[in-house]
Amino acid sequence: MELMVLLALIRLGDDAYGVPISKELLHLTGREVALGSVYAALERLEEKSLVVSTLGEPTPERGGRAKRYFHATAAGLHAVKKTRTALTTLWSGVPMLEGERT
Amino acid sequence: MSNKKSDPPGLAIWLLQRLYRVNNNEALTGDLIEEYRKRRSRGWFWKQVLIAIATGVLAGMSRHWPHVCYAMTGAALAVFAGKILFDARAFVPWWILPWPWSMLVFDLSPSALLSLAALPVLAAGLQVNGVFRRASLLRTWIIGLPLLALSHYLLEAFRLPLVLPRTNLAVIVPAVCSFVVQFFVLLVSSWLGCRSPRHAAPVKMRTVS
Repeated sequence: MELMVLLALIRLGDDAYGVPISKELLHLTGREVALGSVYAALERLEEKSLVVSTLGEPTPERGGRAKRYFHATAAGLHAVKKTRTALTTLWSGVPMLEGERT
Repeated sequence: MSNKKSDPPGLAIWLLQRLYRVNNNEALTGDLIEEYRKRRSRGWFWKQVLIAIATGVLAGMSRHWPHVCYAMTGAALAVFAGKILFDARAFVPWWILPWPWSMLVFDLSPSALLSLAALPVLAAGLQVNGVFRRASLLRTWIIGLPLLALSHYLLEAFRLPLVLPRTNLAVIVPAVCSFVVQFFVLLVSSWLGCRSPRHAAPVKMRTVS
């Protein structure tokens, strides 16, 4: 879950806050993810210093509450690349999965 | 003129503010309001709020795992070894004390033994987290005494006569109720007795000169 949220966040760039991250996950995985789960994953990522957050301006459409924008840190990008390498290594050479490669 | 349809359920927001105790509370609330005003239903809003509260509670429990382990250990001891703890009162010389102290010691000694038996689990967990304090254990034990005694009396007072035939349910239901009550009592006493791991300073290592 954290990996998917981090990847969605990186894809969105500067406009990454709860709602678009949730919509990006829906678009990519076909599964609706509750906003509470997204923020729980973002909180864990922030504790591990893989993302940082900044506060935007409050707007009346949000009941006077500000958006919190999230950005991946260098450590977060490094972690994603490392995970991709590990997953690619694990994925390759498995006979049952070889035929499903696109 | 306010459009009532554009206003999300006030009770749901109130619950979210009170029960979703994390840093991103305001941002999440704003996101939910923003989505709700884009023609989402009240049912959707309530579902999102309940999921957020549940994830917040689970995150809090995993963050405070020593307290959860202590509460589970104590509750399990109360259910499976409760009789032993009550019989152990015979070894506590409560009768030599004047009334009402004798009554207090007699009533509180099972609770004292129960929480003492589970305290090593809490101590180990706090040590692993680097926030071990003897004062925290003492506070937890003292706060737990009256709460455990009160919970025991309440369980006895509200024990409903089960009209079911002597099946496993007649044993399981009271045991489950006892476990749940004792779990929450021990969780509350350890939460009140121990400081939050986020705010406690790490224990300094003693050096041998």
